[in-house]
Amino acid sequence: MRRLKIARALLLFAGLVLAALAAAGLRSEPARAAPHIDRVSAPAAQVDNSVCLDCHGEPDLTLTMPNGEVLPLTISEGKFQQSVHGENEIACTDCHSDFSGFPHPDLKADSPRAIAVEYYTICESCHAEQYNKVLDSVHQRALAGGDKNAAVCTDCHNPHEQMRLTDDITGDLLPSARMHIPQTCAQCHSGIYDAYQYSVHGSALSDEGNLDVPTCIDCHGVHNIQDPTTAQFRNETPLLCAKCHANEKLMQAYDLPTNILNTYVADFHGTTVTLFEKNSPDQPTNKPVCTDCHGVHNISKVDNPQTGIALKQNLLVKCQRCHPDATANFPDSWMSHYVASPDKFSLVYYVNLFYKFLIPGVLGGMGVFVVTDFMRRLIERRKGAAH
Amino acid sequence: MANITTPQPAEERTYERFPLARRIEHLTMLLSFTTLGLTGLAQKFALSPTSQFLVSALGGIEAARSIHHIAAIVLMFGTMYHIILLGYNLYVLRIRMTMLPVLQDGLDALQALLYNIGLRKSRPQMGRFTFEEKAEYWAFVWGTVVMGVTGFMMWNPITSAKFLPGEFIPAAKAAHGGEAVLAVLAIILWHMYGVHIKFFNKAMWTGKLTETEMLHEHPLELAEMKAGLPDREQDLIKIRQRQRKFFPVASILTLIMLAGIFGFINAEETALTTIPPQDELPVEVYIRWTTTPRATSTPTAGPTLAVTPTATSTPIVIVVSSDITWDGNIGPLFQQNCGECHIDDDKGGLTLSTYADAMKGGRNGAMFTAGNAAKSQMIIKFESGDHTDFKLSPQDLALVKAWLDAGALEK
Repeated sequence: MRRLKIARALLLFAGLVLAALAAAGLRSEPARAAPHIDRVSAPAAQVDNSVCLDCHGEPDLTLTMPNGEVLPLTISEGKFQQSVHGENEIACTDCHSDFSGFPHPDLKADSPRAIAVEYYTICESCHAEQYNKVLDSVHQRALAGGDKNAAVCTDCHNPHEQMRLTDDITGDLLPSARMHIPQTCAQCHSGIYDAYQYSVHGSALSDEGNLDVPTCIDCHGVHNIQDPTTAQFRNETPLLCAKCHANEKLMQAYDLPTNILNTYVADFHGTTVTLFEKNSPDQPTNKPVCTDCHGVHNISKVDNPQTGIALKQNLLVKCQRCHPDATANFPDSWMSHYVASPDKFSLVYYVNLFYKFLIPGVLGGMGVFVVTDFMRRLIERRKGAAH
Repeated sequence: MANITTPQPAEERTYERFPLARRIEHLTMLLSFTTLGLTGLAQKFALSPTSQFLVSALGGIEAARSIHHIAAIVLMFGTMYHIILLGYNLYVLRIRMTMLPVLQDGLDALQALLYNIGLRKSRPQMGRFTFEEKAEYWAFVWGTVVMGVTGFMMWNPITSAKFLPGEFIPAAKAAHGGEAVLAVLAIILWHMYGVHIKFFNKAMWTGKLTETEMLHEHPLELAEMKAGLPDREQDLIKIRQRQRKFFPVASILTLIMLAGIFGFINAEETALTTIPPQDELPVEVYIRWTTTPRATSTPTAGPTLAVTPTATSTPIVIVVSSDITWDGNIGPLFQQNCGECHIDDDKGGLTLSTYADAMKGGRNGAMFTAGNAAKSQMIIKFESGDHTDFKLSPQDLALVKAWLDAGALEK
C-alpha cells in the first residue's frame, strides 16, 4: 500500500515538474549554451516571484518538521536577485512547481534533509550534464547506499543564493568561485578543511588569494568525484601532483623544481608505483606515493621547521611509518628528489661516474681482442681455403 | 690451421677437462646469472616496454623481485660451494693454482693481440687456463663480490644504514645497476665470442676436449699431460692426513657461511613485507561544519560564502591525542627527572636538553621512535627494568608513551 502511495506521489510530482518546465520554456529567453532550459509547449500557470516573496520575504519564517527540526522558509530577495538563478529570471515555481497555489499542499517529507534529497532531482531538467556526472560519483553512491547525508546538488549550490561560478562565454571557473571551493566542501568535510586550511596550498589560497594552488576539485574533480581511498587513486597520485609540479611555467614563479616526478620514478619506490600504475592500476602496493611523505591535505613546505620533511628528523618519522626500525641515517637513503651531483649525493654521483668509464673501458678492451681475433681467423680461413 | 671448421676424426683421443660436479656448478651459475640479469635489468630499465612485458609475464614487479632474490640465494650457495671446493682442491689435493693470474698472462694477451694484427707469427701457447678464461673467472669473482655487497645493502637498507651513511643505499643501487650492465654485456661479448663463436667449446657440457682442440687451446697443458706430469697430490696417506684437518675446518666455515646467507636473507623484514602504513591520524571524512567558533582565516577577495549551519548537525569534537608536546610537557618532565645525567651530563651519549638532541639519541642509537612507543628504545629500557639508575613514575612513563604514540611532536 505504502509503495503505491509513494509511486502515485512520484507520478504527481513528475507531472508537476513537467508543467513547471513548460512554464519556464514559455517565459525564458533563448537559453545560453549551458545550462539548457527545455522548452515544453504546454502552457501552465505562471506565478510571479513577488507573489511568493510576499510571505517568504518575511524574516524568520520557519516550519517545524515532523521530526522536530526547524526548516527555515525565509528567502532573501536581494540574494536571490544577485544569484545566477535570479539573473536568469528563474521563477520560484520552476522548481517548486507544486507550490503554485495557496494553501500549499502538505509536505510528504518529515525532515529538512528529506526535502533536499527529494528535491535535488529537479536540477537535472536544466543542468543535465552536471547531474549525469554526479550519478557517477562517490556522493551519489553513498546516497544510493542509504546515507542521506551524502551531498546532493543543493548542498554545494544553494539554489536561492548561488552566484555565477563559470564565465558566461568561456565556461572557465571564475576566480571568485575558486576562492570559495574549499569552504563549500568544508560544510561536510570540515575536518579535512581544517587540515587543508593550514597547508601550504590552503594558506596560500586564503591568506594570499593565490589562485595557482589546488583547491579540492583540482585533485578530486567536480561532480563526478571518485573515491580517493582506492588503490587506483593512490597509484595515480604521482601523476596527479605532477600535473602542477612538473609544469615548468607554473613552478617557475615559486622557484620549485620540476623534476620531482622523474626523480621519484627513478627511485625504488617510484619505479614500483609507476609499474603498478601502468600494469595493474587497481592493485595496491605498499610503496609510498607523494602523499605518504608530504601529507594529503596538510601538505606543508618542506623546510617548515616543525613538519617539513627536508629536515631529517621529520623525514625519519615518515620513513618509520613503513619502516619502524629505521634509524637516524636511514632518511638519507632516499635522495629527496635530488639528482646526484658532486655537491648532493656525491657518492652516488661518483659511483655512476666510475661505471660510466669502467663499462666502456672494459668492453672496449674486450672488443679490441674480439674484433682482431675474428679478423685474424677470417684471414687464416681464407688462406687455408686457398691452399 | 682452420680450426673453426676442422672435422673431428671419430676415433680421436679425448681429455677430461671438467668433471660432472664442475659442469653442474657451471649450469647452476648459468641459470642463476641469467635469471638475475633478466629480472634485474628489467628493474633497472623498468619503464622500457620490453621490461614491462617481462615483468608482467613474471606476474608483476613484486614477483619479479622475489624471483631475483631466489636466484641471488642460489648464487650465494653456489659461491659457498665454490669456496669450500677450492679449499679442498688447494689444501688437500694440492692442485696447482692454474687459475691464478701471472705475468705470463699479460704477455700472452699482448702476444695474442700482436698476432691478431699481424705483428707476430704465432699465437701464444697457453696452459690449463688461457688469459681469456682467467680474465672471465676473475671478473666473475669481482662481480659477485660487488653484487653481493651492494645487493645486501639494497636487500637490508635499514640494517645497512645503522652502520653506514644512508647515502650508501642509493650508491649501492647505482653500483649494482652499473655492475649488472657491465657483467651482462661482458658475458655477451667475451664469453659468447670466446666459447661459442670463435670455436664452439662443448667442454662445459661433455666435460671433454679432443686432442686437436687441446692442441689449439691448451697446448702447454696437453704437453704436461703427455709428459705424465701430475697436477695434484699423489700420496694417498698425505691426502688422508690433510683431510682429517680440512673437514672440521671446512664444516665450521660452512656453518659460518650458512649463517651469513641466513643473515643476508633475514636481517630485516620491513623493507620487504607489506605492512600497512601507520596513519598519523585517522581521517574522519564526514564532519559537518559546526557553529562553534573556528579559527578560519578570511579570504582576501570575493564575496564571502554564507555557510549555513544545519539544524540537524550535532557538534563533533575531534579528540587529538597529539596535544602532548616536547615544549609543553615532555621537555620539562625530562629536565626535572633526567637532567642530572642527561642534561648536566651526557651519560650514554644521550643529551635531553633540546628536542633535536633527544631525537638524535645516544651512543646506542635513537631512543625515541616517533609514532611508536613500543618500539622506542627508551620505553623498552624502562619497562624491562634495564635503566637501573633511575625509574620514572608510572604516570610520567604513560605520558611519555602517549607522546611517542602521537608522533613525538615538538610543539
